[in-house]
Amino acid sequence: MLSEGMTLPDATFPVMGEDGPGTIRLGERLKGRRVVIFALPGAFTPTCDSAHMPSFVRTADAFRAKGVDEILCLSVNDPHVMRYWGRLTGALEAGITLLADAGAEFTRAVGMEFSNPERGMLNRSKRYAMLVEDGVVKVLHLEQATGICEISGGEAMLAVV
Amino acid sequence: MTISVGDTLPEATLARMGDNGPETVSLHALLKGRKVVVFALPGAYTGPCTTAHIPSFIRTADAFRAKGIEDIFCIAVNDPFVLKSWGESTGATAAGISLLGDADGSFTRGLSMDFTAPQLGLIGRSNRYALVVENGVVTKAHIDEPGVCNISTGESLLADL
Repeated sequence: MLSEGMTLPDATFPVMGEDGPGTIRLGERLKGRRVVIFALPGAFTPTCDSAHMPSFVRTADAFRAKGVDEILCLSVNDPHVMRYWGRLTGALEAGITLLADAGAEFTRAVGMEFSNPERGMLNRSKRYAMLVEDGVVKVLHLEQATGICEISGGEAMLAVV
Repeated sequence: MTISVGDTLPEATLARMGDNGPETVSLHALLKGRKVVVFALPGAYTGPCTTAHIPSFIRTADAFRAKGIEDIFCIAVNDPFVLKSWGESTGATAAGISLLGDADGSFTRGLSMDFTAPQLGLIGRSNRYALVVENGVVTKAHIDEPGVCNISTGESLLADL
């Protein structure tokens, strides 16, 4: 289960770039760096669309000004959906890296999965944000209720970085 | 199993976006007493699905209705949030095509139509096919080879009616 002090497991994420498919190795992005990772239930879902992603698009420059090397957004979606959503929300333009946890391996490995079959959501990620330094979770903001985005939002994380 | 003319499609619980948000629906309830087209594809926002497969049914939707088809259903292993957005951005929803999410992939696996391409981030997705289904029984079956969008297009199925 994801917690402060934990070393994140390595993972590989598929990505759709301008030149076709590629991969992102999480370990390479974390090693010796200070990054913020936020995770959400799904591209195009209401709270993620209207609140969570915009909060990091708004604060991306402020995070960089505080010495954060990279901001990564993780969701159990495929990289095709993530790429389109990243364009639509302005995330790509804001320099946010999208991690498509297509098979939910990372989300399961850190114990963050949930399912809500009535809404067509299977093995998705709970909503959280974390500050990670050299692969170790320094701050974890796990949203407790569903359908809201408060502690896991960009401003709440920015305040403690 | 695969899909052959004369088969009764298995029952499935599919997810779609209703007026009040996501909801589940029985496939058999949608098929009962009606003559419909059912086509399936690997995923919203993937290349050939967006540029070729769904446009072929948008182009032919009126012609299908003129030939007595009462509904056109598009099934993909996606959640209803992604499908809603994709249906709007492609024009499928405006063309009267109903998007149904096989969110857990169980319907697709039951038909042995599933494939996995981890490098593309596509896990347990559907190969392409297009069917005419009358009162739940398959009367035309156009099954494409994996990776191909040829005989499962709108034009190809329409020519067979």
